[in-house]
Amino acid sequence: MSYLTVRTRQADDALVVYIDGYLNSLMGEEVERVVQEALDAGGRKLLLNFEGTRLINSIGISIIIDIVEKIMERNGMLAFCALSRINRELFQMTGVARYVQAFDREEEALGYFAQSA
Amino acid sequence: MRLIWNQGAGFSFRAEEFFGRDEELAALLRVCLEGKSGIGASVMIYGPPNVGKTSLLLKLKYDLQTLSDGAAPPRPFPFYFSFSKILSHPLALSQHFLQEYLWQLLVFLGDSPPAAFDTDALSDRLGTYGLIDYREFILAHRRFTERGDGLSALVNAFSFPFVPGGEIFYPVFLFDDFQYTCKLQNIPDGAILSILRPYIKSGHFPMVISGSSPGHVTSSLKREGLFGSFQLMEVGGLSPAASEKMWASLFERRKIQMPVPLQARAAARLGHIPIYQRMFVEEVSFRNAPVTDEIEFENLFALSITEGQLNRYWREFFESAFPERMARARAIKFLKRVVCDQFPLDTFEGALSLLGTSPEEGGEILSALEFKGLLKSDFEQLRFVGDPVLADFLYWAFERGVLGKGSSQVAAALVQAKLSRATAESTEGSREKWVAVTKELMRRWDCREVPMLLFRFGSFRERFGGKGLLEVVIGMEGEPQKMRLPKISSVSTGYRTRRGGPRFDFDLVAYGFLDADFSEENLVIWAVDVMTEKALTANAVEHFENRCRLLSLEKGLKPEQLRKWILFEGSVDPAALQRGAQHDIFLTHRSQMRLFLNLFGVEELDITPEERKAPETPPGAEPLEFELVLPMKADTEVVAARVAEEVAAYASLDKDTVDRIKMALIEACINAFEHSGAESGKVRLRYILSPEKIELFVQDEGKGFRGGRGGEESKRNRGWGLKLIRELVDDVEIATGDRGTVVRMVKYLGHESEKEGEGSPGPE
Repeated sequence: MSYLTVRTRQADDALVVYIDGYLNSLMGEEVERVVQEALDAGGRKLLLNFEGTRLINSIGISIIIDIVEKIMERNGMLAFCALSRINRELFQMTGVARYVQAFDREEEALGYFAQSA
Repeated sequence: MRLIWNQGAGFSFRAEEFFGRDEELAALLRVCLEGKSGIGASVMIYGPPNVGKTSLLLKLKYDLQTLSDGAAPPRPFPFYFSFSKILSHPLALSQHFLQEYLWQLLVFLGDSPPAAFDTDALSDRLGTYGLIDYREFILAHRRFTERGDGLSALVNAFSFPFVPGGEIFYPVFLFDDFQYTCKLQNIPDGAILSILRPYIKSGHFPMVISGSSPGHVTSSLKREGLFGSFQLMEVGGLSPAASEKMWASLFERRKIQMPVPLQARAAARLGHIPIYQRMFVEEVSFRNAPVTDEIEFENLFALSITEGQLNRYWREFFESAFPERMARARAIKFLKRVVCDQFPLDTFEGALSLLGTSPEEGGEILSALEFKGLLKSDFEQLRFVGDPVLADFLYWAFERGVLGKGSSQVAAALVQAKLSRATAESTEGSREKWVAVTKELMRRWDCREVPMLLFRFGSFRERFGGKGLLEVVIGMEGEPQKMRLPKISSVSTGYRTRRGGPRFDFDLVAYGFLDADFSEENLVIWAVDVMTEKALTANAVEHFENRCRLLSLEKGLKPEQLRKWILFEGSVDPAALQRGAQHDIFLTHRSQMRLFLNLFGVEELDITPEERKAPETPPGAEPLEFELVLPMKADTEVVAARVAEEVAAYASLDKDTVDRIKMALIEACINAFEHSGAESGKVRLRYILSPEKIELFVQDEGKGFRGGRGGEESKRNRGWGLKLIRELVDDVEIATGDRGTVVRMVKYLGHESEKEGEGSPGPE
């Protein structure tokens, strides 16, 4: 499977998006497309799983910010999980962390979604 | 229905502007003239779009007419018909076909038919030549047309020319753009061949069909059981001599001068393809640009490919083949890797993987490429068109689309690449150079573990076939199967077991010791051959194995003491892969070798090899300095990060520090790619490691950095790059001017007292 194909998994009413590889403009746009499709289909809970993310660049981060804005506009819920230390720091440096809950594990994030149903 | 005839493709054909293809013409003429004896063979001509298939058919028609003028009857009547895209409606096609046949036949008979198409009038005139059988056909065709019965109208029209011509003529069918018969509205694929089948099978009518999509046509032929009845003829570029003749004719007409020695080179650069030569001459004429030397030629070529006629030609092609933007972008990116970067790809699965989309969408893209003649699928094996002009167009499209570069930047890169490649080409690919690089690599082996996939081409292709550099680099990191390399004590070229004994001509033979233990039981010998031929064959592998066996016997080596390694750069026969696996021979393709060299920091031959130092550098020791030159290409910043990781390994830096350095470098490189506008298309990196700090320099030769400038990507990243760099490292200095920009970044290595200034900076 190519790095341009983003894996997803539906977990109850939440969509888990797995960001594998290098989150650059190409990958970011693919993630954005998947998220947009989910929102258009009525989805409101999205979890971005960064376990397989090896690198993120500034363009990838700004696309994530776009995604945060889109979800906030639609009163949806967004969470991050499995962030490496450097990736967590990057989101703190750019202020994204203020708007998105981050969890160590996917199950914890999904539990958070379930409680907020 | 009455149409005014536009006088067709045949009218615009000028025999004096046709060059070369003598062998093809001779073969086709033989086939066509045999029709006189009632023998009708069928030939299928195929080749990339606009390579000159139509001209070949029209020249054949011209020659048949000229040769048979004044000959005893029956004479060959060459009927040329093009199934152009516009005739996708069966009624329109059948009507047009019928009219064309009648018209061309009258012209052949020496008549001057009226410009208006009137089948009744045309038929009546044919009657005056004793040909009266057409009226029934025309009446029947009219009935089918009135009923809107497209299929019956087609059957009627396409059976029509097979009415015997008596003693006057015999028809020779020259069907062009045949692939469009697969696209008829509401008519089953291959219907035209079904109609023609009995006539082809009869073996009485010479027939030449031509098209850019052999896959589509041959699959229809196979369905009809006709594939075996056809001779296949592939049409590519002209011969060099024919190309040069064509230059002479084109230059003479336009009053253009080009030095004769340059003409051969220019023809080769354009793939010896006539349409490119014509376009190039138009470009020269239009721009009134002198082409007196190689540099002027390359400049004008680059201009044409980035914004001139060659650019418009291929742009139009891709826009028409892929009207949908996303599919077009994918197709271009995919073809760029295969045609321009020459990624070794010959399977459908590999192609789908490289396309990086769903199998359905990928299948559609491949099918469209095949229909347009850019790829040929032959019994599950894919072959892509080798067209140097297309390769450069794809480079332009990719650089512009993915990296947002301006056309002038891409043109400059093209010229530089070509001019520098021209000198490199004479030595590149030569065994000597590659052997020297490999020797240098092996000298650096240091008992490190490397992914086994670097030695297993079959598995490498399976796992990474069609994937980008980034994904391969990342994928390699997680690769579980590793091989521990030996410490090499000597590498030599060729090998002789004893004085006066047999010589085993390997390209390289290296003595190594496992675990850096220099004892006899840890001795391992590596026999290496570099094969620069177009294809690695089973025979070559077998020959290598035989030499290895002799060496092994001579030296009394146990199997595990002899490592057999073939490096190759062309394609590989499946049987060669099989033999390699059978004899436990390591196979490394050039694409794997690049990764291998990168792992050990061997970039080019010219780089003075860095002597390995002890992992722990004592304080006060000389700093270690590394340099890397990156092309400004998508994702190459990852290579910079990867090298940083390797450099950091010398100082046993903690993971967090390494991650921060990597991120800072990535951002600095992206900034340079986006803002510098450097014509060199390169970014130079220096890594200086001392016990106290690591200094990173990212230098471009652009026009200087000014904040807030940049393309779409810059808008997208909202200026995060520089802010992040400042957060990630301890010191940042930017020196910018007309001659370029240098970003210096410093990360101090755990010695707080060494820091110049304040502590860890806070967020802005």
